[in-house]
Amino acid sequence: MDSTAAVSGGHLGRELRGFGRFLLRELKPRGKLITPFNVISLPIIVLGIAILIVRFVRGLGSVTNLSQEVPWGLWIGFDVVTGVALAGGAYVITFVVYVMRLEKYRPIVRVTILNGLLAYVFYAGALVFDLGRPWNIINPIIGNSFGYNSVLFLVAWHFLLYMIAEFVEFSPVVAEWLGWKRVRRLLRSLTLGAVIFGITLSTLHQSGLGALFLMAKAKIHPLWYTEFIPILFFVSSIAAGLSMIIIEGTISHRVFKDQIDPRRHGTFEELVFGLAKGAAISLFVYYFFKALIFIHEQHWLLLGDAWGVWYLIEVVGFVLTPCVLFAYAVRNRRLGVVRVAALLTVTGIVLNRLNISIIAFNWRSETHYYPSWMEIVVTLMVVFAEIWVFRWVVNRMPVLRPSAHAGQET
Amino acid sequence: METYHYVNIFETKGLEYLLLICFLVLFVLLIRYLERPKPEESSENRASRVTRRHPC
Amino acid sequence: MNRREFLKVTGAAGATLAASGAQAEPPKKDDTEFVGVLVDTTRCIGCRSCESACSQQHGLPVPDIENDGALEAKRNTSERQRTVVNRYETDEGPVFVKKQCMHCWQPACAAACLTNAMYKTRSGPVIWRQGKCMGCRYCMISCPFDIPKFEYDRWNPRIEKCDLCAERIAQGKKPACVAACPTDALMFGMKRDLIEVARVRVYNHPKRYVRKIYGEHEVGGTGWLYLSAVPFEQLGFPTHLGTTPYPEFTRDFLYGVPVVLFGLPALLLGLNLLAERKKQEA
Repeated sequence: MDSTAAVSGGHLGRELRGFGRFLLRELKPRGKLITPFNVISLPIIVLGIAILIVRFVRGLGSVTNLSQEVPWGLWIGFDVVTGVALAGGAYVITFVVYVMRLEKYRPIVRVTILNGLLAYVFYAGALVFDLGRPWNIINPIIGNSFGYNSVLFLVAWHFLLYMIAEFVEFSPVVAEWLGWKRVRRLLRSLTLGAVIFGITLSTLHQSGLGALFLMAKAKIHPLWYTEFIPILFFVSSIAAGLSMIIIEGTISHRVFKDQIDPRRHGTFEELVFGLAKGAAISLFVYYFFKALIFIHEQHWLLLGDAWGVWYLIEVVGFVLTPCVLFAYAVRNRRLGVVRVAALLTVTGIVLNRLNISIIAFNWRSETHYYPSWMEIVVTLMVVFAEIWVFRWVVNRMPVLRPSAHAGQET
Repeated sequence: METYHYVNIFETKGLEYLLLICFLVLFVLLIRYLERPKPEESSENRASRVTRRHPC
Repeated sequence: MNRREFLKVTGAAGATLAASGAQAEPPKKDDTEFVGVLVDTTRCIGCRSCESACSQQHGLPVPDIENDGALEAKRNTSERQRTVVNRYETDEGPVFVKKQCMHCWQPACAAACLTNAMYKTRSGPVIWRQGKCMGCRYCMISCPFDIPKFEYDRWNPRIEKCDLCAERIAQGKKPACVAACPTDALMFGMKRDLIEVARVRVYNHPKRYVRKIYGEHEVGGTGWLYLSAVPFEQLGFPTHLGTTPYPEFTRDFLYGVPVVLFGLPALLLGLNLLAERKKQEA
């Protein structure tokens, strides 16, 4: 189906109908319907939708444990703040491949961009569920109310623009799937621009998510509050992104192994060690940033209570330890250790983001927030729905399997 | 009152510079450590050959 | 100046004219000064007429101030009540403190609000404009006094907080609470004048007052000012907020954004050109 076919009335009608049939065919599920993942995820997705209906009819309080003291809970603290950090792999990998032209990593670029795009669409999109008046979300977009003074204004706009940039980066894959050659060539020429734009946007909104909490100075526990939160968020998003690529890559290689050339398994290992090297370095830098802040704010005075212990657990157990493990694994070529280190890193990022947004937020308050089961179900629903779409795309579009244009730049 | 007592906002600067030097030294050591992996076969490495130095 | 700006300025000019009595000519745009309220806790008797008047003024459930015994426990403002009076037992006896939005000179909530729903008006009151609000609750995260309250139990939730009766001020009246106070514990006026009044009171009666006007410098200065017979920590006031206006905490980050937007694409493109060059040589 070449889009350059002549456009006349009847011909266009036949084109559209053919396209419609193609889409319907593609929408049909492939593979087994009864798998452990499907059996678990489908009921949760359905339940999550039911909970959301209740939420929109009866207000946020009916399904969440949010309060006047803790206005942001699991949906913002985990879905948006943590989810976006974990999606940082996309801007790191596009930097490595498209800016620095390290062709070695090209095989994983497409899947990482797809993951990044879906992560933003689903997790940043999930924040719409958390808004009290989501229909007014167009206000800061259409110019009715531009709150320039707000960090959240910046973050919101950057999310929007970044999703567009990511989609442009991924669109050649879609064009290949649809067989639109000319469109694909055009989109390919836009890639470097979209990548540069995307990296710039990512730098600003990863740090921007941290900057959101700068005005909560009086309310976040001093061990976690610092004027450098934006920089810490940015640096840790690099380590988080690289670790997620390793984890998601490992899973994808098992689940979709029918798509991957067996000779490529070895190359993938090489890539993993390369990513692990990057993770070790970024965790090292992150750790020393935290040490600098520790000294500057004289935090040794604050280590005497449970909060101090919790802080040390996060920094020593989930930043320093994976850093050392990554370095050891790269040096001694231990793939299993890399995976452990990646899991520890991701856990550490989750802990850090949740600490700042929920756990150590309003830490002096007598009431403590914990998510309701309904908030957890909706969060799981978002994660599972994203995986469903990911699986749909990977099974149909040339993401993991080599593209028909292998050898040309993609 | 805040402005009537001695306060040194640069109190920890000496320690911070010390940390910076440690960081730079350890950073160089880390890069050197990472750039020379031992050429052992990993338990899952099957087909591909491992080059000692790869441009990454 | 566009139409909206023009309306805001004339509205503020009209409000200032009305509030301050006769003036020879309309004030220029930058001449409008803030209004505020001085709370003298040594005069407050805890009658809670202010709570009642406020609720009536804004269509909220009116508390039964005679009988509900609310002073037995410490209360916070809520999505049903924009102001509360709390009783504190101190060495000077019971002290009653009225709590509500402080109407900061540089409000954190207004800086946080991405839709300008939270808005600092030219004459001082920080108001919430419901047509713009999307209910993100970032104002609640940012407020150092934890004032904005959210209606979690409604499908179309509001943010509730004191708005200094901005509509009444525009008509030349005092806020409902000030008008209702029987003991002159609440005084409404230009903030500049209130500071003078407060200083005179403290200097003339050094044994009656602690030598501090709360709100003069806190977070850069607030519209509501407090005098007290006992140290403010004993009355539940946050005393470690500092004097930096809260929007300043995000200023450096926001100023850095254009720098990154200018510099990073150029840097990345430069790196890319060098990498391409190196590939060609290889």
